[in-house]
Amino acid sequence: MKKFFVIMLVMAAALFMFAEETEWLIRDVEGGVKGGTLYLGTTSGPKTLNAYWSQESSSRDIYKYMYESLMGSDNKAQVNQPALAKRFWREETADGGTAYYFELRKGLKWSDGQPLTVEDIVFTYENIIKGDGMTADGVETYQDTEGNLPELTVDGNILKFKYPTKYRFGYDSLGGITIMPKHIFKDKVDSPESFAQMWTIEQIGDIISSGPYIVTEYREGVRVVLERNPYYFIKSKDGVQLPYLDKLVFLIVQDTNTMRLKFEAGDIDLLQISAADYPAIKAQQAEKNWNIIVGGPNASSQFIAFNFNAKDPIHREWFRNDNFRLAMSFAFDRETIIDTLYNGLGEPMYGPRNRTSAFYNPEIESFGFRYSIAKAKRYLQQAGFTWNSQGQLLDWDGNVVEFEITTNSGSNAREEIANIFVDSVQKLGINVNYRPVQFNTLVQNLYSANWDSLILGLQGGDDPAWGTNVWSLNGGLHFWNWSPEVQDWVDPNEYYVSDAEKRIDEIMKINRSIMDPAKVQDLWDEWQMLAAGKQILVYTVSQNYLVAMKDDIVIFNPEPSPLYGAGVLWNIEAIYKK
Amino acid sequence: MLKYILRRLILSLPVLLGVSIVAFLVISLAPGDFLDTYRLSPSISKEQIDNLEKQFGLDKEPVVQYFIWLKNIVQGDWGYSFTYKVPVWNILFRRLEATLLLSITTFIFTWGIGIPLGIVSALKQYTFTDQALSVFGFIGISIPNFFFALLWLFMSASTGIFPIGGIISNNFDSLNWFQQMGDYFWHVIGPMVTLGTSGLAGTMRIMRGQLLDELNKDYVEFARAKGMPNRVVIYKHAMRNAINPVVTSLGFSISGLLGGAVLTERVFSWPGMGSLIIEALTQQDIFLVMANLMLSALLLVFGNLIADILLAAVDPRVRLRLS
Repeated sequence: MKKFFVIMLVMAAALFMFAEETEWLIRDVEGGVKGGTLYLGTTSGPKTLNAYWSQESSSRDIYKYMYESLMGSDNKAQVNQPALAKRFWREETADGGTAYYFELRKGLKWSDGQPLTVEDIVFTYENIIKGDGMTADGVETYQDTEGNLPELTVDGNILKFKYPTKYRFGYDSLGGITIMPKHIFKDKVDSPESFAQMWTIEQIGDIISSGPYIVTEYREGVRVVLERNPYYFIKSKDGVQLPYLDKLVFLIVQDTNTMRLKFEAGDIDLLQISAADYPAIKAQQAEKNWNIIVGGPNASSQFIAFNFNAKDPIHREWFRNDNFRLAMSFAFDRETIIDTLYNGLGEPMYGPRNRTSAFYNPEIESFGFRYSIAKAKRYLQQAGFTWNSQGQLLDWDGNVVEFEITTNSGSNAREEIANIFVDSVQKLGINVNYRPVQFNTLVQNLYSANWDSLILGLQGGDDPAWGTNVWSLNGGLHFWNWSPEVQDWVDPNEYYVSDAEKRIDEIMKINRSIMDPAKVQDLWDEWQMLAAGKQILVYTVSQNYLVAMKDDIVIFNPEPSPLYGAGVLWNIEAIYKK
Repeated sequence: MLKYILRRLILSLPVLLGVSIVAFLVISLAPGDFLDTYRLSPSISKEQIDNLEKQFGLDKEPVVQYFIWLKNIVQGDWGYSFTYKVPVWNILFRRLEATLLLSITTFIFTWGIGIPLGIVSALKQYTFTDQALSVFGFIGISIPNFFFALLWLFMSASTGIFPIGGIISNNFDSLNWFQQMGDYFWHVIGPMVTLGTSGLAGTMRIMRGQLLDELNKDYVEFARAKGMPNRVVIYKHAMRNAINPVVTSLGFSISGLLGGAVLTERVFSWPGMGSLIIEALTQQDIFLVMANLMLSALLLVFGNLIADILLAAVDPRVRLRLS
């Protein structure tokens, strides 16, 4: 009899647990129509749907509609919105540390109906993020300035991540953790191999999600089908459970010309257009009733870097000279690139962020960077350069200025940038030889002395702290100048680092321990002023975000988000078809 | 005959081994490795890259890597794709359906139409039909595939008769079985014609030249003088002698069945192996590339074998030599 009561009690408890009412997140939309399929195009299919092992945007473009984190981001790509966590706050503790609190919503479920609880988050943090070699990215993102990982404790529905030092970056890093279901992964986290081989494209159909959609079909090279997650936790203001759209179908079309034809024929509903295609699409707009949105400049970063440690010591001296790089920047005709490459639909970039970014410092415009050969010549003269009778530029020792520029072949934009750069500096009497190489060759040579200047683009989050690896002196991607460690084995006199670079290094080191957002912004303002003022990297241009869509698609917020690749599809759950 | 086949298969083993050595070394000698894209990711630190190198076994010398690969293959493990984290054969097999659909239809198109047209051309030598077929063939051979493909797509876009690339329509799921089959074939026509036209002219010209050679020989004249009906002279005597080189090249083209056609696949967004392998090559997904190269080498060996067997079937002289 006692046994019976115990069983009854357990069952009642289970029933009570499952019956727990979901604490809905209410999205600020109403009047949408449920149903319909949105056809989208992508140039390449996903490689793996395991968020911790994919490195390609083609995979991210699919799973970003599937996995939720504790926090979401706003239309400026800032992580400050509630998602799985209904409340979040942080405290500076008495011992000088920082505690991040996330209160998980009650009644959350995975798309297979299993409850999503704090257990899943603890599991993801302890076994995957902290696990040895379990993720491709490593743990660096979650570490404070001293390399500590936070300690996680749970109190009911509240998760507490405690850092021993001051750490401001917790919303971005911890709030963005992709949560993995414990009930599926619990036996799969014993080795990196077994974890990496989970949720590959072979397991489609078994993958479950916490986000608005679940992938249900993938025909390699053909299409990816995502269907609504019936347990999604967001509702509209008038009480409709989101997402509105039943299905998202991504057609895989490798060739962008074919993609455009497919959009024109109506096979694809929404197309992110290149500036080159824009006039042709615009011309058909009235006839086909398309909506075309021209957004701000994309958050891209194509820049020219000069090798401070080039093989030839004479070249080194030019490249290390601030006035020389400033002259290069003034002589570099960005407007022509925008006209020829982007049909006028782009904006010049003079510093590491453009006006789309939430961290943009408009003060860099006071430098007055604009194409000017006269200014370029003045800076060269200031640096001690002269011209000979044939109009060739000579340095202070009488050497003729001539160097190489390289980039990876196959990237149309970079090749065009290289050509225009070569053309532009010709006017200063400088002969630049353009030598395109294969992508892997470029990467392999990045840390060598075997290049003079190169064109590259790097992708990262909007918060400049994501660029720590690029801007710190000993960062893994600080490729244009040696790390200070080299002084142990090269002649210390050959090592050079400017005051501006030293200060940037400091900014990258201290920003994570400053809690006041205004003070952090001051640092980013200073960083942009230093990077732009000295043209440590010569930034080029960025294309405007352009998208065309059929007129029956209602976009919840038509201002495109700078979040990489999201554009108008940010907050997909609130988009519907009339 | 069986002994001959067996001997050929055993002799092909060193060939395959040689192919694997050369292929592996060439891939390893190419600059960079799979982790290059990781190296350009601002969120991955230098230490993490070193860890990954160890994890993927990329920190070892190419020769060591090769022997590990070979040892695993002997044990039946072909490795897994770095990008997909899935055993390589599973990735290749996922592309098999589309690749075979396109290559077999193209094969039938090229040989099924090319051989009869070549015969017609030879029999009507220097007439209008012959000239017209030659012009048609040369146009096919001289238009680059990707350009032909683009022309085809623009034609489809403006007329709406054919679909714009892909392998299935958007409403594929709502069709019944027969309509689905029809849908596949409707989509395969574009890439098939594109690939087929370039091969068609080749087949046609070989067939025409060979048949004309034979028709000008003395034994044909003799047979005709004997009063043998023209049909028998051509199809029973001249044809059998003329077909040998055609059969040999047919065997070779078997090895291309799984190779894929990169440019055409790309423009038609056809999900074949060509585009998969190009992507794998640029990413240096070494095991996937190796598996594909070994598959091609194996098919070449088999294609040649099949060609020889076919040759024996059509030519008694070869049969005699083999036994």
